[in-house]
Amino acid sequence: MALAPVQLSLRSIHKSFAAKGAEVRVLDGLSFDIHEQDFVSIIGPSGCGKSTIFNIIAGLIEADSGSLGYRGEDVASLRGRVGYMMQKDLLFPWRTVLGNVLLGLEMRGIAHRTAVERAREHLHAFGLSGFENAYPKTLSGGMRQRVALIRTLIMDPGILLLDEPFSALDYQTRLYLEGVLKQAVEKFHKTVVLVTHDIDEAVALSRRVVVLSGRPARVKAVHDIEIAEHSPIAARSDRRFAGYFRTLCGELDIQTAAQQPEALAS
Amino acid sequence: MSVITAGKPAGVEPQRPARRKRSPFNTAIGRALLQAGAVAALLLIWQVGVRIGWISDFLFGAPAGIYTTFVRMAASGELLSDTFTTLFEAILGFVIGTIFGSIAGLVLWYSIFVARLVEPFIVAINSVPKIALAPIIILWFGTGLVSKVALAVSLTAIVALIAAYQAAKDADTDLQALLISMGATKHQIFYKAVVPSTIPPIIATFRINIGFGLVGAVVGEFISSQHGLGHLIYTASSFYDLNTVWVGLFVLMLVGFALYYVIDMVERLLIPWKVSTATHLVQV
Repeated sequence: MALAPVQLSLRSIHKSFAAKGAEVRVLDGLSFDIHEQDFVSIIGPSGCGKSTIFNIIAGLIEADSGSLGYRGEDVASLRGRVGYMMQKDLLFPWRTVLGNVLLGLEMRGIAHRTAVERAREHLHAFGLSGFENAYPKTLSGGMRQRVALIRTLIMDPGILLLDEPFSALDYQTRLYLEGVLKQAVEKFHKTVVLVTHDIDEAVALSRRVVVLSGRPARVKAVHDIEIAEHSPIAARSDRRFAGYFRTLCGELDIQTAAQQPEALAS
Repeated sequence: MSVITAGKPAGVEPQRPARRKRSPFNTAIGRALLQAGAVAALLLIWQVGVRIGWISDFLFGAPAGIYTTFVRMAASGELLSDTFTTLFEAILGFVIGTIFGSIAGLVLWYSIFVARLVEPFIVAINSVPKIALAPIIILWFGTGLVSKVALAVSLTAIVALIAAYQAAKDADTDLQALLISMGATKHQIFYKAVVPSTIPPIIATFRINIGFGLVGAVVGEFISSQHGLGHLIYTASSFYDLNTVWVGLFVLMLVGFALYYVIDMVERLLIPWKVSTATHLVQV
């Protein structure tokens, strides 16, 4: 498969946090590339610093050293150019569904009428017509996360950073939203970086899976997932699915954890 | 009741627990009757006690006398004018104090440096019982309307300031992070994330502050005034005219009651996304 040009590259990113007087190294020279229209999942042990990577890319925190390259330029961060979605839907409770979707467009100073028009189109496309004036507290978890996805996509971000966006949802809703996400990403030709600890989700959705080691995080392995199926449900029944699943579990030391009590303790 | 049956497996006829028979008094009308009955009984005992000489008419007044005083004062219009005076002072003080206090508290969000700098002063001001300022406030602002409003402001502003500042500090940092990732400026974070999330806690202080507004107005009137319910109560008590004192107290109570419900309405108007923060004593 011919590789698309590199869109985002991380070059030897270091980041430490001070915790109780001691320095905790979270990222220790992390490097990897994200290609145009890539769908990359990042998996790794809990607390290995996956969210820290996103916070650095989005410009919420600064790396101690290292550099970010975006479409051939050195950048400090991608603040304002990323669509960030987290496990919590982060809908603003005082804004209606429409108001929430409009948030990013307001930030860009887009004329209200144009913004509303675009928001209504998106809501319609995602089956949320008729809920424009509902407040988030009246919606189900799946609907709220769909609104959050629309809010992210409507900004037309260069890259989507999804930090375990579906992990708080029940399995059926998660399968459904994975499908919605996959379709949307293909329709709008988006690049996606997905942090998850759901190996199954990573295999079903991604074209590549980056496996991180425990803290401090380094890239342990990168796997290309060659499953041609578009729907996450069909992908799960592909004959290669189980093989990828087993390999990734192996890489995360999941089978061996039982024989290594100290691995559990960490 | 549905909560109990909701967990049953589908297809199994839910066994409804025998519905506890509700007392006929436990309805809106029943409760109102009980409440009215309690008040009537109290008034009756009071009146009878005075009549047979167990309760001193001189020190406690009597319901019948209170009623005739009320009717006389209401008819002459003096009660209405005193009520309006006090209400006006209290509301004006409440509005000014709340607006200035809230704005000051919110603005402190902008600079951690300034906030840390002024924090001990705010704590110091807050720890002075503001009522103790009443004599100087009268000296500075005279015996008219302004001094009462100033006293009410001094009581309400600090409550609003502390509440607003605390609420701004507590505003959800994840929402702010999301805005930053969208490229928001500090102003945009303030207007779009911080200010809206402080509105419910600020409105919660309205309930306390409307009472403080009344306290400021009445205490100001106690010290020096020609009008108002505080003036009415103070002068009547110095003449041992207990019936008039009671009229003043009851009207103050009614005013406080009415203001509480007005704030309930304001709250529902201002924060439609939230259920009421009202702390009704009886939850049904």
